[in-house]
Amino acid sequence: MLTPAELVWLIAAVAKGDEAAFERLYAATRAKLYGVVLRILRRQDLAEEVIQETYVKIWNSAGQFNPGLSSPITWMASIARNRAIDLVRKRSESSIEEEPAAMEVAADSPDPLARREMTEELKRLLECVGRLEPDRQKLVLLAYYNGWSREQLAAKFEVPLNTVKTWLRRSMMDIRECLGL
Amino acid sequence: MEYNEDHIALAAEYALGTLDADERAQVETLMATDNAFAAMVHAWEFRLGVLNQMVGSVEPRPELWERIRTAVGISGEQQAPIVLPETPPPVAPILLQDSVFQDLEPGAPSSPPVVDTSNVVRLTERVRAYRNIAAAMTAIAAVLLALIGVQIVSPGSLPGLGGKPQTQVAEVKPTPTPAPSPTLAPSAQYVALLQGAAGGPAFILTVDGATRNFTVRKVGAPPIDPSKSYELWLISDKLQNRPRSLGVIGASDFTARAVLAGYDADVVNGGTYAVTVEQSGGSPDGAPHSQPVFIGRLIETVPASPVQNR
Repeated sequence: MLTPAELVWLIAAVAKGDEAAFERLYAATRAKLYGVVLRILRRQDLAEEVIQETYVKIWNSAGQFNPGLSSPITWMASIARNRAIDLVRKRSESSIEEEPAAMEVAADSPDPLARREMTEELKRLLECVGRLEPDRQKLVLLAYYNGWSREQLAAKFEVPLNTVKTWLRRSMMDIRECLGL
Repeated sequence: MEYNEDHIALAAEYALGTLDADERAQVETLMATDNAFAAMVHAWEFRLGVLNQMVGSVEPRPELWERIRTAVGISGEQQAPIVLPETPPPVAPILLQDSVFQDLEPGAPSSPPVVDTSNVVRLTERVRAYRNIAAAMTAIAAVLLALIGVQIVSPGSLPGLGGKPQTQVAEVKPTPTPAPSPTLAPSAQYVALLQGAAGGPAFILTVDGATRNFTVRKVGAPPIDPSKSYELWLISDKLQNRPRSLGVIGASDFTARAVLAGYDADVVNGGTYAVTVEQSGGSPDGAPHSQPVFIGRLIETVPASPVQNR
């Protein structure tokens, strides 16, 4: 992975239509973005589709990236993740699980960072997530990492949908307060 | 404009991903018409986005770049993609004197009053911060360890390019497995983060509920002197708290064994797992010779997808 500063520079070059920079940006970020969306979509074909749309959008809207507001990788991952979530929400009627030939493999092993590699922002967020009750920590993390809907979370935690709604809202408000937003 | 709590919650849940399709469309409309609301959504996305630092990278198939290049309509002048030397981030050894919390912002909401600079309060704050982060990391491990299903198009085309080094899993075939007892759900995976005094996982222990095979994955454990070995122990009050050796943890990234199959499910599930430093090859007399350097307990991980009730 390149440094954030190098990625900012690449995105600025992409905004000017620099094809070589786009290729370098792709090479430096594709595996992280693919890992993020594959976890949510759990199917290679859908994940590839989303990654393709994501990089097309990055190519077209690189000029809108504001390095003062976000790190480059977070900006790119947000685009990818939003597309993945949109796709699973729209497909929720025809469940992905029922597609043929979707087989289970033990895919990405967890990648816990050694604590000194974490950014300050991650440490602060984890501290706030860690203050939630254990079930709500998992609730928030399952929603974020796996892209689960409220219905899926309600099934997992064996509680009514309205309870999940309340828990989610309270959890996000607690995190907000803890972060001092 | 001043946003009420409903607006804030909507923005937060959009970033979290839990809204349904209609609500997401509603948020996207709001964002398009209200810059301040859009900024609030982006702020949440950026706050939560740091969680992606914990997600492992997966290499897509090389063909994907061709598709993207075609889609954006750029020429194929530069033939082969410039493959940057992508080394996986090194896992820094966890030092037992972890100073990470010294730089937690003093202005954080939970900070003690400014006048009170006594070491005791500061230390308490740091311990609390450490505990919270450790709790969140345990939850993250439980969530990330769930299996994900991937439609395999061509097994040979999956990860490899410049990604992580391939790790060999030395699978030891299970000895005849006793019927799993009800306290260890057969389909579930269990995980323990074995952590040192200063926190940060050194090893991740996973136990398969059905076979009770276990795997130890080395994550942050510092390298050990060649004259020594890490050894894993199971400690349970049902075994009179006498540590039972589960064997030496190999030098490779993964060590897999089946020895837990001989223990009852409640012992496996309720026990404490500890790592000691022993002489090379392990303790000669079946008892540990150091204080545990890393320790942890099993928790059940989350299945890949919830039960579909259809």
